[in-house]
Amino acid sequence: MLRHITRTLFKMVVTLFVIVTLVFFATRLSGDPIDYVVGQGITQEDRDLLTRYYGLDASIWEQYVRFLGSFIDGQFGLSFVERRPVAEIVAERIWPSLQLLLSGVSLTILVAVPLGILAAIHRSNWIGSTVMTIAFVGYAVPNFVLAIFMVLVFAFTLNWLPVVGNSTPWHFIMPTITLAGALIAALTRFTRNAMLDVLSQDFMRTARAKGLSEAVVILKHGFSNASITILSVLGLQIAGLAAAGNVVVEAIFAWPGIGDLLVNAAILRDFPVLQFAVLAVAFAVIIVNGLIDIAYAYADPRIRLGRA
Amino acid sequence: MTRFLATTAIATVLAGSAFAVELTVGAANVTGFIDPGRDHSNVGSQFYYNSFDTLVEKNYDKLQGEFRPGLATEWTLVEPTVMELKLRQGVTFHNGEAMTADDVVFSLNRMYQATFPPYQVRARDRLANFDKAEKIDDYTVRIHAKREEPLWETLLNLQQVMIIPEDYTKGLTGDPKVAENDDFEAFSLKPVGTGPYAITQLVPGETLVWERFDGFWGEKAPLDKVTVKHMPETASRITALKTGEADLVTNIAPDQLSLIESDPALKAAGSATALFHVMIMNANHPVLKDPRIRQAMSLAVDRDTLNEALWLGKAIVPASHTMEEFGELYMPELKTFEYNPEKAKQLLQEAGYKGEEIVYTSFPTYYTNGLLAAQAIVEMWKEVGINGKVNVVDKWNGGDADMMARNWSNPMYFADPFGSFGVMWAPKGPSESEGRFNTDAAYAEAWERFRFSKDVEARKAAYAELMERISQDPPVLPLYRPFESWAMNKNVNWAPKPGHIPYVLDFRAGSISFASN
Repeated sequence: MLRHITRTLFKMVVTLFVIVTLVFFATRLSGDPIDYVVGQGITQEDRDLLTRYYGLDASIWEQYVRFLGSFIDGQFGLSFVERRPVAEIVAERIWPSLQLLLSGVSLTILVAVPLGILAAIHRSNWIGSTVMTIAFVGYAVPNFVLAIFMVLVFAFTLNWLPVVGNSTPWHFIMPTITLAGALIAALTRFTRNAMLDVLSQDFMRTARAKGLSEAVVILKHGFSNASITILSVLGLQIAGLAAAGNVVVEAIFAWPGIGDLLVNAAILRDFPVLQFAVLAVAFAVIIVNGLIDIAYAYADPRIRLGRA
Repeated sequence: MTRFLATTAIATVLAGSAFAVELTVGAANVTGFIDPGRDHSNVGSQFYYNSFDTLVEKNYDKLQGEFRPGLATEWTLVEPTVMELKLRQGVTFHNGEAMTADDVVFSLNRMYQATFPPYQVRARDRLANFDKAEKIDDYTVRIHAKREEPLWETLLNLQQVMIIPEDYTKGLTGDPKVAENDDFEAFSLKPVGTGPYAITQLVPGETLVWERFDGFWGEKAPLDKVTVKHMPETASRITALKTGEADLVTNIAPDQLSLIESDPALKAAGSATALFHVMIMNANHPVLKDPRIRQAMSLAVDRDTLNEALWLGKAIVPASHTMEEFGELYMPELKTFEYNPEKAKQLLQEAGYKGEEIVYTSFPTYYTNGLLAAQAIVEMWKEVGINGKVNVVDKWNGGDADMMARNWSNPMYFADPFGSFGVMWAPKGPSESEGRFNTDAAYAEAWERFRFSKDVEARKAAYAELMERISQDPPVLPLYRPFESWAMNKNVNWAPKPGHIPYVLDFRAGSISFASN
């Protein structure tokens, strides 16, 4: 178990380093921040002056080393626009995003797992096919379409739900559903398939033969074995959710989180903020994946007991 | 959710009850910093006038400049290049400090003798003629210009020379007796001015809160509190207005206006913004070196059709690089730019154009309708035989040698041709410096007369000469002044004032009120 955790941690660090490096060089290809922070159309003299002021006159390698160095002091550099530590800016924004991510993932698990089990048990009747049809449609609808559709119906037309910001629990409803929508659809299908695999195993027949109740057979013997596959899928899906989903959801619902920060930083070429915001998202994804990896190990006794 | 506009409450509020009058604004963009000196962005300009004052004020209800006392009560030219200003007494900054000549001299010299790089940039493009400000006594200052200045009031009314407190600013970081770069950086996150609203919260890019400043020297602010929230998505901004989460929202495109107008609870206010969306052309690109080719590119564009199709006819198509806001310098009689496809064809033939591809670069979304205009322009080029192509890149390439044509904007930074055409197209200015526009001694000489002549007619004559040069060897075609709208709850009476620079959210006394229904 300890070896598994150490290996997971090591993988996390390497992944982060690769991401940091990629993000650093990719942002440098997107244009000169002076054009965006100060505005387009300035004289060469002014451009040189500002380039020096923002420390962009150093060679790219020097900037890269300085960037890596900014990890050590924990400030992650200064924003070009706000001229304050990036860590401070991201700290303001990370919590709303995490709240949304957690509520999205919770809703996904609460809805998708029971639906998937239901669809597996009722695989050959109308319940199963209804669940799968909904899941199929849900998977096919892009989140921005779902979001705008909900805004149109529940806010614009019915005026039931607020649409911008995160100040009350009501504000969470539409963003959470948007974020969870596609994930619920995907996870329902995976849960169903995983359950179907397990349900056809010999040990299920044995469990029933022992005279156990159907509920115990399905949940204890069936689901606990299927959960390993489900967890690994969930981990992968959350990555996409946190990275791409949040950006769209936060733009539409004016959610004051990292996605919104990331878009602004990209528009303004505020490299230090952009780099760290991407990194923060990557970090969140890696942490969640790492936790799921560990949970995966816990769920699988072969890994937990170190016999794999 | 701030829902202040329960209609019945409004009448009570206006009757002077204890109800707080609050307003929530949904803004497409919220600024990342507040510093009137360094900022000249369209996002930033929304936020300064409520919190800061200039020495010379203006009647913003009028399209053309009518200057009046601001933080200075009178001003007289004591020498041809020296202006003496008497300062208003009893003016207090939001932090409680009294404003004196020291603050004024500090604020002006932070620009006139700038050492902070972002100030240096702004000082160079519009304040280069000012040498220094000096204190005569606690309520008298003198400003020294390098040459006789025909635009004194205009250039004392600029956002960039709004007054900020000296001691407070210097004390923000490091040595409290010295103005360091970090002081100005810190100021931009904790701004303090003398205006009717203090900025009590600023989450950069996200939220800005104004609260009424009771120590304001003039007529008190009509609102207790204004919260500006970032709402990037147009559909969400409009919905927030409907759900009551916002009372006023910014940046509504013309094609969304029908949504607002069809709702009896909402209304819109708009104006043709004092800025041009322009097409620039690289005079030094090998394919475009012959001015006749650029003339043809310009003559081929039917701007009225663009206006009808993209702006429902609400934008303004200019005959020259001129705006009504320029007052006496407004010159609609100049026909610098026209639509003449026949002439375009003829010029292309004369120039020996052989169908070389001409690339028009457009930002994907930055300018409202910018990409659609680019596509339409390339089609219009095709009509006269220009082989055009649209290139969509979210990257400024105005300084690249291989840039051929692209979209850009020329805002009116202040109400004079110097504040619009002048900032962008001065000799050695940004456009020439980026290598896509050339000037010579004759242009520079006409420029000098335009900039510094004290006689309006002489300035106009010089500007006409410059426009003729632009017409003969065109680096730019102003397409139109985009029509920009704000939408609001029916009970809110607000509209952009004609005398302001673009996008100013003016909530001062007399600028916003509420209908009692």
